[in-house]
Amino acid sequence: MCTQGAHILAEKHTVDRAACSLCFACAKICPTGALERCGREMSVEDVLTLVKKDQAFYGEMGGITLSGGEPLIQREAVLALLKACKAHGISTAVESCGYVDADVLRCAVPFVDLFMWDIKDTNPARHKQYTGVFPDTIIKNLLLINEMGAKIRLRCILVQGINTDAEHYRSVALLAGNLHNLEGVELIPYHAYGGTKAQFLGGVDNGNKAWIPEKHRLEQAKQILKDYGIRVL
Amino acid sequence: MDFYTQNGNTRPIRLSEATRVFAHDSLERKYGLNTLETMSVSLDEVEEFDELSALKKHDLAIMKIAQTAPIRICDGEKLSGAATLGLAISHVVPVTYHGAPFCPSISHLTVDFETVLKKGVNAIKVSAGEAYEKYKNTEKEAFCQSCLTCIEAFEIWRGRYLQALKDLPEYWANYRNLERVPFEPATSFYEAVQSLWFTFAFLRLCGNWPGIGRIDYLLGDYLKKDLENGVLTLDEAREILAHFFIKGCEWINGQYIGSGDAQHYQNILLAGIDEDRNEVTNEVTYLVLDILEELGISDFPTTVRINQTTDEKFLRRVAEVMRQGGGILAVYNEDLVISALIKDGYSEREARKFANDGCWEVQIPGRTFFMYSPFDSLQILQQKTLCCYQGSAAFENFEALYHQYTTDLYSCIEGIFLDRQRLFANSGVPTKDWEWAKQPPCTLVSLFEQGCIEKGLSYLEGGPIYNINSPHIGGLADTVNSLYAIKKLVYDEKKLTLCELFSILQNNWEGEEALRQYVLNRYVYYGNDHDEVDEIAARLLSDFADICTSFNGKCGYRFPAGVSTFGRQLEWSSNRLASPHGRKVGEVLAANCSPTPNTDKEGATAIIRSYCKADLSKLATGAALDIKLLPSSVEGEDGLEALVSLMKGFVSLGGFFMQPDVVDASVLKKAQEHPENYQTLSVRVSGWNARFVTLNKQWQDMVIEQNEH
Repeated sequence: MCTQGAHILAEKHTVDRAACSLCFACAKICPTGALERCGREMSVEDVLTLVKKDQAFYGEMGGITLSGGEPLIQREAVLALLKACKAHGISTAVESCGYVDADVLRCAVPFVDLFMWDIKDTNPARHKQYTGVFPDTIIKNLLLINEMGAKIRLRCILVQGINTDAEHYRSVALLAGNLHNLEGVELIPYHAYGGTKAQFLGGVDNGNKAWIPEKHRLEQAKQILKDYGIRVL
Repeated sequence: MDFYTQNGNTRPIRLSEATRVFAHDSLERKYGLNTLETMSVSLDEVEEFDELSALKKHDLAIMKIAQTAPIRICDGEKLSGAATLGLAISHVVPVTYHGAPFCPSISHLTVDFETVLKKGVNAIKVSAGEAYEKYKNTEKEAFCQSCLTCIEAFEIWRGRYLQALKDLPEYWANYRNLERVPFEPATSFYEAVQSLWFTFAFLRLCGNWPGIGRIDYLLGDYLKKDLENGVLTLDEAREILAHFFIKGCEWINGQYIGSGDAQHYQNILLAGIDEDRNEVTNEVTYLVLDILEELGISDFPTTVRINQTTDEKFLRRVAEVMRQGGGILAVYNEDLVISALIKDGYSEREARKFANDGCWEVQIPGRTFFMYSPFDSLQILQQKTLCCYQGSAAFENFEALYHQYTTDLYSCIEGIFLDRQRLFANSGVPTKDWEWAKQPPCTLVSLFEQGCIEKGLSYLEGGPIYNINSPHIGGLADTVNSLYAIKKLVYDEKKLTLCELFSILQNNWEGEEALRQYVLNRYVYYGNDHDEVDEIAARLLSDFADICTSFNGKCGYRFPAGVSTFGRQLEWSSNRLASPHGRKVGEVLAANCSPTPNTDKEGATAIIRSYCKADLSKLATGAALDIKLLPSSVEGEDGLEALVSLMKGFVSLGGFFMQPDVVDASVLKKAQEHPENYQTLSVRVSGWNARFVTLNKQWQDMVIEQNEH
């Protein structure tokens, strides 16, 4: 079945990821679904059809949230989808890491009801160390959409021993205080569940339990935000 | 003390400590165990007992119960009257002759409490007296005499309670109430609740299991008046009503019964419109929700009637209580139910009054004889359609197979029809002048079913205004999925012939594991909002309903269609072959109108969408959908909104009846291992609730499987 020789059927069935050409022919015929294609191509119409299916339940309250990966990378498609949703009265939310072209954001803002924006770290050196980039672009983009009137929720991950210091959360509070239309700040403790996903993709479980924040760190962050008058979700 | 909840939060506290202790004791089996101490009374002393007619034996039995059943007054009870004979818990009139009970009892009905509250039992006595005069010296005389005797017995029982309460100052209010009710009309909320309870208790004492019906409709006006006149505060009213629910737990005794210890069909309905289209929801509605929320008593299966215009605030309150778990609240889409009843021939005003019987089967309360006949639709497909095919010509295409199936389905229903007829008709041949056959005595419930006294006919003999015999299709999802799998495998993809497939099924998929996995995993089955298979479900339900309707007018009762399993998928599992959709012999399959376990992969909203594609208004006695929700999905404000949305969507898409339960399968597994820590954990079984630890292992496993995602 496999033209690339990527399947090794020894005592255990394994897949050589390097050899795999992603044709998905094996996943199509796997009887148990052990080999599964994650993700498929859909048109804007396909997505809208799917979203509309549950309208009887969510009515005017619910809508669509674009997530990822980084959804804004799919520039044209994402803009088309957002426009179509708004045309059909479906509310829209976009999760973004913020490290995208300002252009995409300028085009998207009129069609997005809520931006959920990651602020991982306000310490530039640390941000660079752990994500590979400085936070400047992310902050600049945040202020850009803010100027355009976007409704924003800040999502702040807490990683024990890395960004769980008071200074970072004070910076977040100050940043949040400058936003005109802030829904609130969401504090998200690190969890190690992503490790299993890594395994499914043929890698190793690289979740790090040491990064799970202590409860008092979470409480401290909440308190700092509250002290600055910031709504904590 | 705490009342178990699925929810992380504790239950609110609004009731007095004394009432909470009363509730706790009842749930902890105090009164149930006491009830088991006296199982029955006996008629051994009656001379020439065997010479007596069935009706005469029955009358003596009721009289003996009234005269000698133990009187129980619980500490601090606000309502008096107790069903104290243990045999009644087993659905039998608790009287024996030489050790053996001889009188069957009645359930699956909601009697006419409205007349008792508004006019009093004395008004019924007057009617019975008139009927006696009218039918004297006819063959109906004995029944009328029986009516009068049973009322007399009821009076005697009431007299004994008055005697017991008389000299106890702390029960002065109870005494005063019982001096009037239930024989005179109720004049206050407290009297009304006592009247309702006392009548219900007497019926139960004598082994019958009636439902309560629309409790807020029955009691609402009394409470309104008392609140307006400052006679009662809301808190006081809540205490009284709480005692009603607590007294209803008097049979909890912890005994292991297959299907659970709370299956007594004490169903209650809340909210909805009345016959004049006014919304009933009133203070009583909210009090009941408060009580259920605080005490977690799920022994009264309670269903809320909602419609397109139901108040959002009310739905939120319902959701709040629902997510405490215990399967405590179910939901009717009353718009759809009423349209179904009208389609079945009821007038609009009558249809709006609907209540239910033990589980969810719909009926007009106080005037309906109800019976249902379940059958396994999968067995028909496997052991008739596919089996008989072996010898005869091939099914050329799917249509031919489907056609044969519906023919076989027709034979099954015709069989039910003829069978019921044999039971209920005097002559074996259906004629225009249908004559009801003689049945065992059931005078007590007949007293409270409109039509019986006037006609001089008992509840089982055509007395009530409406009479229903409803075939119930079971295994629906499995039949649909089987047909679908055959369609795909044999006719669309042509992977093998029907003959080959049937051999494989007869061999329980032996040696065909790859094919079985294929069928299990690669096809999208009913419950995932997939049109191709859902269309088969919609079509089958429609054809089934049409078959049932074709028998209307050929007998003295209506023959409406309904869908249910009521847990029978457990007992059916050993009679079923391996199924075309990949399941092996002995597996426990679909419940009610729900998907086959483990085939629903798209969430609750998809299940509802699949279910609603059928025209459920053709299933007049009901089609129930079980929805299992994880506690995490109904947490917080989002969770509340989600539950409300679920209910709204259910109504707007045309559902009939939904029974959600919020429970974690892992908690159930823990309860299996350490039942002592989970004594009051309740789950929804199938139209009724039970304390999980009283289900036997098979039922427990079935509930766990249904709850696993």
